[in-house]
Amino acid sequence: MTAPADIVYLDYAATTPVDARVIDSMSQLFAADGDFGNPSSGHLAGRRSGAHVERATMQLASLLGCSESELVWTSGATESDNLAIAGAARYRADRGRHLITMVTEHKAVTDVFLWLEKQDFDVTWLQPDSSGLVVMDELEAAIRKDTQLVSIMHVNNEIGVIQDVEAIGSVCRRHDVLFHVDAAQSVGKLPLNLASMPIDLLSTTAHKLYGPKGIGALYIADRPGCHVEPLIHGGGQQRALRPGTLAVPLIAGFGHAAEIAGTGMQEDLAHLQALRDRLWEGIRGVGGILRNGSEDKAFPGILNVSVEDVEGESLLLALEPLCVATGSACNSKDREPSGVLRALGRSDDLAQSAIRFSVGRPTTVEEVDLAAELYRRAVERLRALAPRRTA
Amino acid sequence: MSGEPYSDRVRELFADLAHAGDLVDAAHARVDDQGVRISLAANCDDGVLEDLRFHAWGCPHLLAATESFCGDYEGRPCSDLLEFRAAEVMATLSVPAEKLGRILVLEDAVHSLGQSVLRDLKGKNG
Repeated sequence: MTAPADIVYLDYAATTPVDARVIDSMSQLFAADGDFGNPSSGHLAGRRSGAHVERATMQLASLLGCSESELVWTSGATESDNLAIAGAARYRADRGRHLITMVTEHKAVTDVFLWLEKQDFDVTWLQPDSSGLVVMDELEAAIRKDTQLVSIMHVNNEIGVIQDVEAIGSVCRRHDVLFHVDAAQSVGKLPLNLASMPIDLLSTTAHKLYGPKGIGALYIADRPGCHVEPLIHGGGQQRALRPGTLAVPLIAGFGHAAEIAGTGMQEDLAHLQALRDRLWEGIRGVGGILRNGSEDKAFPGILNVSVEDVEGESLLLALEPLCVATGSACNSKDREPSGVLRALGRSDDLAQSAIRFSVGRPTTVEEVDLAAELYRRAVERLRALAPRRTA
Repeated sequence: MSGEPYSDRVRELFADLAHAGDLVDAAHARVDDQGVRISLAANCDDGVLEDLRFHAWGCPHLLAATESFCGDYEGRPCSDLLEFRAAEVMATLSVPAEKLGRILVLEDAVHSLGQSVLRDLKGKNG
């Protein structure tokens, strides 16, 4: 599982390559001589295919520490976020129409809340503190009698800050408010045990943990009041919560990737932390460099830095063949400064110069050292090009 | 839909910004606008642009366009500076339309340089 020789890939928070073992297990499920049947069919081919779904459901449930019946397969984290947020808001609309989220959430979350605002839901948008963390007092103060849902992500996709989802969930439970977590960046990377955590809804996806693109899952806790209205209709699959023929090869791939991630999690975490720390050591001497987000509560796979007096788009091109991100990958073609970094109090120029390095399981020390060297050289080159600032 | 934001020519120019730098005893112009900064310097000999140099802070399209301008205008009459048009360099380099504002800053800087050069020439020629 190595990157092509002409690129240095440090964008694992955007997506990961599929583990070769996962590809191997998926490849048995496509062709006529494999288990290609429709798992909803009662015949032998369907049952064989269904067994792969059952196994994958068990593998993901084991990773998450939840019951298999609490999982719904989706097309990815974006769909899971939509189903969780819009589905729960609509299901509980009779009780109240107030919802809470943070301005630093992924667009897959914020855009759902913006849509819900147009449907006459009232949304409170929490600002983070300067390190990107939720301010617990502000969260609790924002909860009202008619609040139905709080949605806050586990690991921020841009800056890697880890929210204290246990503490947030506890506040929500005290007020009988559902708590949704977008865990696209953390599932398979950080330990989770949903059976003992105050989380009601959790979105995840396979392609961030060396599984295939196009498959995700939503955890819906089996507890009173925790339910979602389906977004699509047609067929009774998955208890009609997310109907449609199950994508068996993708589901099997997700399950296998989840099993591999669970088995090697501690090893992966140590690997990521060593590489992230080495990368930071390699560039921290660059004048005017700033690390974005909490250093204490940070996912070890992500390092987000801004630098003074360097234009971000030119920096990104000057860094080639290094593949890194500016802002989140989903909107990196939009040159508006990152809203997450602006929420942290960074100036437009600093936000625009931000680079997110994200290391992964296949990343090597040599790649990290090369990335640090490319970054130092690119910053020096672009600064030499710039006119002096006028007073 | 290639997703490639830069033309090959922009990439070539960005990789080798041969005219980056400064000139002593030269005519200068500087414009800061639209979030970009451009400083141009020109040496002229007998009404002809002998050397052009620049400093710039901005996106790859702006840097490439500035480099392209410098390379194209060396050896041309100083008065040509006033004829520089952003639209031409945008077409040559396939600069996307949303970058027009930044390339217009380059146009302003080139015209400002032209006025400076022509003023110097006028001064020398009495």
